[in-house]
Amino acid sequence: MTGPGSPAPPIERIGTRTTLQKLLSRFHFGITLFAVALSGLTILLAGVTALRGYADRNMELAAQLGAYGVEPALVFNDAQAAREGLEPLTRIPGIARLRVLNDVGRPLTQWTSPAADPAPLLTRIFFPRPFAVTVRRNGSAIGTIEVWGDSSTLIDYVRIGLLAGLGCLLITAFGTIFLARRFEYELVKPLNEIATVAHDVRLHRRFDKRVQSLGIAELDRLGGDINALLDELQGWQGNMESERALLAHRASHDTLTAMPNRDAFDEQLALRIQSAEDRSGRFALLFIDADNFKAANDNFGHAAGDAVLVALSARIKDTLRKGDFAARIGGDEFIVIIDPLDGDVRAEDLANQIRASVVEPVLLPGGETYRAAVSVGVALFPDSGSDATALLTAADAAMYADKMTNRSR
Amino acid sequence: MLASLFLIGALTTTPQMAVQAASQTVVEDGSGGMTRAVNRMIGGIVSYARWPDGSSATPRVMCLVGTPRLSDRMAPDLPGPGSVTVRRTNASAVAPDCDILFLGRMPVADRRQLIAWVRGRPILTITDDDAACIYGAMFCLSNRAASLSFSVNIDAIGRGPLRVDPRVLRIGGGGGAS
Repeated sequence: MTGPGSPAPPIERIGTRTTLQKLLSRFHFGITLFAVALSGLTILLAGVTALRGYADRNMELAAQLGAYGVEPALVFNDAQAAREGLEPLTRIPGIARLRVLNDVGRPLTQWTSPAADPAPLLTRIFFPRPFAVTVRRNGSAIGTIEVWGDSSTLIDYVRIGLLAGLGCLLITAFGTIFLARRFEYELVKPLNEIATVAHDVRLHRRFDKRVQSLGIAELDRLGGDINALLDELQGWQGNMESERALLAHRASHDTLTAMPNRDAFDEQLALRIQSAEDRSGRFALLFIDADNFKAANDNFGHAAGDAVLVALSARIKDTLRKGDFAARIGGDEFIVIIDPLDGDVRAEDLANQIRASVVEPVLLPGGETYRAAVSVGVALFPDSGSDATALLTAADAAMYADKMTNRSR
Repeated sequence: MLASLFLIGALTTTPQMAVQAASQTVVEDGSGGMTRAVNRMIGGIVSYARWPDGSSATPRVMCLVGTPRLSDRMAPDLPGPGSVTVRRTNASAVAPDCDILFLGRMPVADRRQLIAWVRGRPILTITDDDAACIYGAMFCLSNRAASLSFSVNIDAIGRGPLRVDPRVLRIGGGGGAS
């Protein structure tokens, strides 16, 4: 079942193809035709044989009747009487010719049917010789009567037989068409259903499609196997999709804090710039850097450092509104995009909000508490820069300035 | 006067309607042709007659009265078994042991007497001196135009106890029209 938009199949297919229905119909018709022809021929032959037997007996009876009728005529050697004796025979159908011979073999009288023989060949086959009956008078032969048959009765039978055969063939043709329709319903339809499901799965990746339960045992088994195969395919497909999602997540997210990574941030920033330009809006870029993070790492160990980073990220996330974006772009560096930005919000307020969020001490795995501090640099779009690099540079510079201020404090 | 009376009597006893000449036996050429034809015809008629006693093989006696017109050598030729013995006799000496009575040319009175005598007896009467077959004989032979034929007097046969094959009656009576 090749669809219109499908790629070239790997196996070379045969050019002209027939449908199963046509095939079945053809076979069916052939078999039925054969059967009808065979039985028709048998019946015709049997009929002809039987009819020939009857015709033979008919001839024989006619000859006997003629012998009885012409017997006195032969005794008296009377041609006129012989003609009259033959008269009843001339009314019997299927007799072509009659002849009465006397005791020395000379013909006394003869009669030929005025009707022409409808099939001389058939007559030659079926009645090659006349039926001859010896006429006896008190035990001694006084003459012979000969009766030739003709094919008129046989021809009628053969004609009727052929007509009946033709009628049978017609009925057979109609019956075959009807049966073929039934076949389409009973066999081709379930097959089509299987094909449709397979087609749908292949073309539209509809792995949830299943073949319905089918009435024919073999096809139902095939449908069941296809369903099992689809179950497996669906399983694989599901696994593949979840793995892909995982990989995609891994590629764009930081594994420790589960925050978007640098790559995801770059992408996001480009999008935000584009979007802000389109609507002439503003947004803020916050560069956040943990203060003295190296010292914390050194004093409490890497596990503690990691805990601090996770805690920082969680608290940063908590400050975000719907639509804002946060990413971890380096070891202890975070970025937040506040988008959209209301007109009256000041950059310093945003920075203070972040600083306030991290004031609460962090509980380390060792049981100690650590009070984190961050430096925050704010850049505004489009005030501080209109592209990613300018914005980042501005934010970074602002953060550095903030850090310097913090150190001097 | 007598003859006319007889004619009337004959007409009343044997209606013309019942008598028809029909048979047309071919007579061979030559001197003995007619004799053979007559003997064969008589043999044929005898073979189709059934006497109340005996079978077809029983020998029959044919009493010949008068002078035969067609042949003087009477020897009936029967198809198959059986035989006919010919006995010449005269009208007054006819005995009841005759099975067949052949009436040749004879005085009218003798014929009348013989026909009357035969009535009721199992005797087959054949004549060759009554082409119209009106004088009471059962079978009448006649030769016409080189052929021999016979007629049947069905009334005469019907009166006696003798049975004759209907096919012969048909030949001798039915086909006259054709």
